[in-house]
Amino acid sequence: MSEIVLVIFGSPADRAALGLAGAAEQLGGAARAIVVEEYQPEPVLDALVEACRGADVVLLSNDTYSQEVAPRLAHRLGGACVGDGTALSFVDGRLRVTRQVYGGKANAVIELRRTPAVVWLRARSFAPGVIPSESEGPGARVVLRGASVEPHPHRSLATLGMTTRIIERNTTGGSEARLEDARVIVSGGRGIGGPEGFANELEPLAKLLGAQLAASRAACDAGWVPPTWQVGQTGKKVAPELYLAIAITGASQHMAGISEAKTIAAINTDPDAPIFKHARFGIVDDYRKVVPLLRQKLAELKS
Amino acid sequence: MNILVCMKQILDPEVPARDFRIDAARLEADRGSANLVTNIFCENALETALQFREKAGGTITVLSFGAPGAEDTLRKALAMKADAAALIVDESDTKPNPLTAARVLAAAIRKLGAFDVILTGREAGDWGAGQTGALLAEELGVPYVAFADTLDVGLRIKRQTESGWEILEAQAPVVVSITNDEHNVPRIPKVRDVMMAHRQPLTQWSVAELGVEAADYYEVVELAIPRKETRCELVDVDTLARRLAEVAAG
Amino acid sequence: MSTATREIYWNISYIWVMYALLVPTLGIGVWGMGRRVVRWRRGGAAARFDRPAARVRRLLDHSLAQRKNPIFHRLLTYGFIILTIATIVVALDADFGTSIMRGRFYLWFQSLIVDVFGALVLVSVGVAAARRYVARPAKLVYTNEATLILAAIFIIALTGFLIEAWRIQATRDPWAMWSPFGNLLGRAFGAVMSVEAMRVAHRGMWWLHLVVSFAFFAWLPYTKMKHVVTSPLNIYTSNLAPIGAALKSVDFERERLGVRKLEDFTWKDLLDLDACTECGKCTDACPAHAVGKSLSPRDIILQLRDLPEGSGVIQGASAPEPLWECTTCAACVEACPVFIEQMPKIVDMRRHLVMDEAEFPDGMQAAVLSLEKRGHPFSGTQATRLDWADGLDIQHVSRTQDAELLFWVGCGGALIERNQKVIRATARLLQKANVKFAVLGREEKCSGDPARRIGNEFLFEMLAKENVANLTKYKVRKVVTPCPHCFNTFKNEYPQYGGMFEVQHHSELLAELVADGKLAPAPSASVTFHDPCYLGRQNEVYEAPRAVAGASVEMERSRNKSFCCGGGGGMSFVDEPADKRVNQERAAEALATGADVLATGCPFCMTQMQDGINARKGAREMRVMDVAEVLWEANDGPEPHP
Repeated sequence: MSEIVLVIFGSPADRAALGLAGAAEQLGGAARAIVVEEYQPEPVLDALVEACRGADVVLLSNDTYSQEVAPRLAHRLGGACVGDGTALSFVDGRLRVTRQVYGGKANAVIELRRTPAVVWLRARSFAPGVIPSESEGPGARVVLRGASVEPHPHRSLATLGMTTRIIERNTTGGSEARLEDARVIVSGGRGIGGPEGFANELEPLAKLLGAQLAASRAACDAGWVPPTWQVGQTGKKVAPELYLAIAITGASQHMAGISEAKTIAAINTDPDAPIFKHARFGIVDDYRKVVPLLRQKLAELKS
Repeated sequence: MNILVCMKQILDPEVPARDFRIDAARLEADRGSANLVTNIFCENALETALQFREKAGGTITVLSFGAPGAEDTLRKALAMKADAAALIVDESDTKPNPLTAARVLAAAIRKLGAFDVILTGREAGDWGAGQTGALLAEELGVPYVAFADTLDVGLRIKRQTESGWEILEAQAPVVVSITNDEHNVPRIPKVRDVMMAHRQPLTQWSVAELGVEAADYYEVVELAIPRKETRCELVDVDTLARRLAEVAAG
Repeated sequence: MSTATREIYWNISYIWVMYALLVPTLGIGVWGMGRRVVRWRRGGAAARFDRPAARVRRLLDHSLAQRKNPIFHRLLTYGFIILTIATIVVALDADFGTSIMRGRFYLWFQSLIVDVFGALVLVSVGVAAARRYVARPAKLVYTNEATLILAAIFIIALTGFLIEAWRIQATRDPWAMWSPFGNLLGRAFGAVMSVEAMRVAHRGMWWLHLVVSFAFFAWLPYTKMKHVVTSPLNIYTSNLAPIGAALKSVDFERERLGVRKLEDFTWKDLLDLDACTECGKCTDACPAHAVGKSLSPRDIILQLRDLPEGSGVIQGASAPEPLWECTTCAACVEACPVFIEQMPKIVDMRRHLVMDEAEFPDGMQAAVLSLEKRGHPFSGTQATRLDWADGLDIQHVSRTQDAELLFWVGCGGALIERNQKVIRATARLLQKANVKFAVLGREEKCSGDPARRIGNEFLFEMLAKENVANLTKYKVRKVVTPCPHCFNTFKNEYPQYGGMFEVQHHSELLAELVADGKLAPAPSASVTFHDPCYLGRQNEVYEAPRAVAGASVEMERSRNKSFCCGGGGGMSFVDEPADKRVNQERAAEALATGADVLATGCPFCMTQMQDGINARKGAREMRVMDVAEVLWEANDGPEPHP
């Protein structure tokens, strides 16, 4: 029986955490969960190394801290790490993880050769499961507090015996809800042409649809929208019911972030844009013409 | 500040899907007609390093572990005004895993000298493991910060999170992996610098010379291109509105 | 008859004053021209004295016959030439003891012809003034200098008539009838003035005429009037090669690879600046200017011309934005009556910004990076080089021995989905006509044209050398391409790198095949042909594509005066403001012809015109097709989607 440990950054009630539990259930069930409440790189890593000793498999989600910690955790435990897993299985006692490679153009199955296998997953892609609770025994759910040090840099790193610490945390303005949990997403690409397009056209549309806003890498690199809106191979991996891609070409690196979307719709002036090979329905036209009309129709339908 | 940037040369990730094929025997992408390019995140890392050097002063060394053709990546980096370059030539026929790569890079870095900041791209556009930087930090025994986009003096590091960004304070030496941002889009080199870059010396080692052995970390056991065919239905605005409203309402 | 003449210097004394005034006049004039020559010599070398016969012919066509100029300017020129000859004749008789001004010559030339042309000068000045101050075309430059020049010419001509009129009347000239206008004027004065009054007036006006004329000639080199010297010089030393061959290569050993200071130009470029007459025809012809962008070729030339001697640094004297609006269509070069090369100077200045400073528009940067990384400028395309060949039996050049020619597809043809249909149509036509051709397939790399036009000569040379080497390796002798940019590059620019190929645009070959009966002709139809700039104006291929498409409708701006689609010069890769799109302007013109089909012969024109028609079409449908597609329809029916 493999000892599977879940490492959860954030709340154990989150969809991501539940997905981890679900993934663990596919392997036979999680033995215990470690919930990390406050993160500072070194204290947390040290604590996790201790807490995960003896584990065969450590599962994490695809958030920033998990990705930063996982490979180092694996290294210190003498194990192996792999990330962005979308499926798991044991074969001949070894863990195999499925993940996208080559910018989303191919799927690979990776077999880990060292123990523990430390894997971070697209947790929301797994059906939700049940996270071990304290009632299942001592140590079944452990809470780690990493920030035993206050974030203000009054004391130097040296006196604290640390070499890195987070001194400031900021959220970009906007909805509190996470893109990965969104049901409906309205996303814009290079063809939007500037921040005004996002603010004046896409934002009101998103409101009408109850959607969250996102963008392709091109729009983020151009500085039109914050990097937190980026969806793609590097960026958020989303799994909405509806993904409306506006003025997005649909290159594989972007598609890699929306492979789990149930329905993709597209508005693009280029009839040959790759997005139309993935969309269920769409319009070939300039979004500046279509979106105002769309908003009008949607408003009518609402009333 | 002694800055080192690790840069990887990969098959062009923008190869059209039609031309993308798998070599079933070797379980990797078939080279085909694809060109070799520098991984974009490594270029973001170099650009971040260049901007940091403008603030903090110092030198930038670029390091690459790959086929002999990776020299192109290093020459381009020198054209962007990196100060020195080193190449570790991979003579083996097998694709290295992130741990082997980290060990090789660490061995080279120890030979190159003491560095304050070591930058890598957050992941490579081919395998996208996203671990080499973290494992490199462990091999060197130094701290690690992921998903950074800006470096500042005092060693302040700004990095991206799902909901925004954070500022970290770090002590040198530190390994930092870089992600893309509107400010670290790689600069275009001047032609004179491109021409001069070809005449600059390049340090070169083989993996054997560095005394590193391949690590058994993980292995690719399957590799396939998923088949997905959708027929897109082109509709008018009315229909689009209705369909969207339907799906959004759930 | 043989005694017909007049007394030189009648009624005039103190002639020595005239000779005395000649000294400063000549001094100031020669000094002025001399300084211009010194300025030209600061520039680099240029070989512009070869093929004298062709140069003289051009001089006769454009300096003398002035084919590009309106009639009033020609009359002004001839008038001045005649009057100058007449003055020289007087000087010869007066100072060198000749007797030319006698008899028949005196009557026919010195009297009648001079009189008539003097009157024509006055009329021409009147027309010029009406144009400038009443009609006020936008292309003219309105300065005090321009007004003064017109006024001076008017005064010189008018005072000339006044002098003549009073002399004729006061001396009761027996040959008065031979100077009809002077005579008429004299009669009119005779009715109201005494002989004594006329003598006084004559004397005063003679000196006024002299002073104004001398002042005019002394002042000439310091104004745009210097063009009477510089324009013929410029026309003589102009570029004899087709406009498509206008760009020069770069010496990579130099410190600066592009033009940043005046002396980075060649002496010929600097002469160009001084030949400008400020006529504004170039700006009038510029498609960017026509849609309201800031680019004005005339202003660029004048700003360069007016740079102060000391610094000569161009950037800072004028903002770079206009440089990035140029499509390199060369309408400006075509329009210029004195053969100034505006567009190549824009490219020269681009070269500095791109290669020395690495500062140029983002879209063009992306295209250049894509060229470096993957050999084509279409960053992000999911098309491959051989998508168009699906289902067709196409040979790679390495696998066939009996190919007559290399079919060079071009990036625009292969990688833009709309154009793939054009390539298929062309290939099928060639197959139907039994033409054995081969392609390079995935080995095809961009010809380098976008790199060169954007200003990255370094990348262009690299691509050019690679392509020449590749084609040489496959022993290619003839190249046929549907892309005029590739056509121009192969034909006019590759020879410098050892690439000597016979090059045809696909319409030229298709026209030959139709003429030889190997393909059915397309019937003459409601088709209007848009001349691609790189095929038409820059390489003078006008008839072949029209023949291939059966084009029977002409747009107003056609052939060498064709209006650019807006896609050249790297402009395909940048976003234009929605209200300033060159392609929409041209699309409106095409739609206005009422034709059913807009035919063209270039992948960039195809994309631009399709977008333009889509934006402007309103209720009317107009098909946009390549000439090959039109011909294919006549030979086998519409092209199925690959």
